[in-house]
Amino acid sequence: MSVVFSRPRFRLEPYVEFAKVAMAKEATYRFDVFTNIASVLVRVYILRTVWVALYAHNAAPSELPLHAVITYSTIAMLMSLVMDIDQTRILRDSLHDGSIVLDFTKPMRVPLYFIANGTGEVLFHAVLMIPALALALFFVHIDVPSFGTLAVFLVSFLLGYSVGFCINFILNCTAFWTLEITAVQFIVTWITDLVGGELVPLVLFPAALQNVLVVLPFAAMFSTPLLIYVGHIPPAQYAGALGLQAFWLIALGAVSVVMWRLGARRLVSQGG
Amino acid sequence: MKRLKAMARAYREYWRINVLTTLEYRENFLMWFAFTIVYHGTALGALWVVLTAFPSMNGWTFRDMAFLYGLWMLAHAVNNTFFSEIGNIPDHVHEGEFDRLLVRPLDTLFQLIATPGQTFPDELILAVSYFAAATWYSGVHVGVLFLIFVPLIALGGALIDLGINLIVGTLAFWFVRVDALQWIVAQLEQEFTRYPVSIYSRSVRLLLTFAFPFAFMNYYPAAFFLNKPENALALPPAVGLLTPLIGLAFVSVAYAFWRFGLNRYQGVGH
Repeated sequence: MSVVFSRPRFRLEPYVEFAKVAMAKEATYRFDVFTNIASVLVRVYILRTVWVALYAHNAAPSELPLHAVITYSTIAMLMSLVMDIDQTRILRDSLHDGSIVLDFTKPMRVPLYFIANGTGEVLFHAVLMIPALALALFFVHIDVPSFGTLAVFLVSFLLGYSVGFCINFILNCTAFWTLEITAVQFIVTWITDLVGGELVPLVLFPAALQNVLVVLPFAAMFSTPLLIYVGHIPPAQYAGALGLQAFWLIALGAVSVVMWRLGARRLVSQGG
Repeated sequence: MKRLKAMARAYREYWRINVLTTLEYRENFLMWFAFTIVYHGTALGALWVVLTAFPSMNGWTFRDMAFLYGLWMLAHAVNNTFFSEIGNIPDHVHEGEFDRLLVRPLDTLFQLIATPGQTFPDELILAVSYFAAATWYSGVHVGVLFLIFVPLIALGGALIDLGINLIVGTLAFWFVRVDALQWIVAQLEQEFTRYPVSIYSRSVRLLLTFAFPFAFMNYYPAAFFLNKPENALALPPAVGLLTPLIGLAFVSVAYAFWRFGLNRYQGVGH
């Protein structure tokens, strides 16, 4: 396996095809699609009921009025449709069954193949957000911000998604060294949901805790785009908020590259 | 009688294998134990944050909710410890392993429940410890009634859990792939048991009481022990003690459905 291939000229088309195949694969499980959307609806109903009950008997916290918190939680749930996907699972799977060796012999850049596959899967679920959102509107009223804010939100969401992608890739890369990481992935997902502000907006956390959590990469995944959406982060702070997200993306992107290189080398030195 | 003896022997053997497997894969066990702790930790963390920002929800404080959560955790842990294999019915069906169980001399459901894996009572130990702490924290009076009924309620709650999983699992006889449904039912159970049922609309309260009796896993018993005045359906507080009976009734319905499915099962063509 230590043969050095002369790299063919890079072409994007094969990776687009990989993504399409992954998308088609996801679409075959129609029953899953249906139950997924149904589950979003029930959870939107629950979140509305819970927040209404909380705001009904207490003085509303000044940070977020009821309509903003319902908007926040609904958008967070829709975001989780794509954020909670184990995008690079195929890396772990092909390490488990050894097929990664074959992947290396193919004329392609292996990490790009994994990324394309994950992206296809995610795009399919991103499309599902549209019917889920449309149906959710029967249960909740969602604030729609100005076009400018929406655009910044989308940029921030993309940055947050990419940070999440890197964390997922790094976790799956650990499969080069240790094979059983399912539990660790669940643990990271739950911790992200809590300290990233998906379950409860970070602005409702006690102040001391908040100051720590906002600078972590988990906040970059959920909290930052969501707080931009509901207008809690004003335009004057956009640069700082997006800058911090970009910082985490670069840092974790660098870690991903290093992990991949070390992992791939280890694979080669073991003889495939 | 002979049959019961055979079952008891098989069941003992089942636990022996479980413990040996767990000891063999110690790192794996520790990782899943951490998983269990983080799962409950993040759920309670979210409750704590919310109820720090808002002092109460429909008259329930964090102390009350900690107890509510504890009751659910106890029932859920009993189910996960003794009946976790029910969740694998769909796998057994589409791998074709299920057919093997059908030709063996012991009851099919019993064989399923006693399929060795890596089950270990770690979650149950965690749940009992948490529940003891939550009981103290919430200031619930621990009397004779409490000591007699809490284990029965945990068992009844576990039967409700088992019943719902058995119903979903049985659907695999017709639909084969029910993974998403299983996942969603688990998630809904977890969400609907987290907050007092009284916050939901009347129709949902009726559903959670009579159709999918999750409210009996923790809401009604917790309302009874915490002396909460308002009840979701203005039922007398003592309904909280009916959980064991509700559990038995619900699991009987689920079992009947399972028998019905089993009689129609034709295999997936292996």
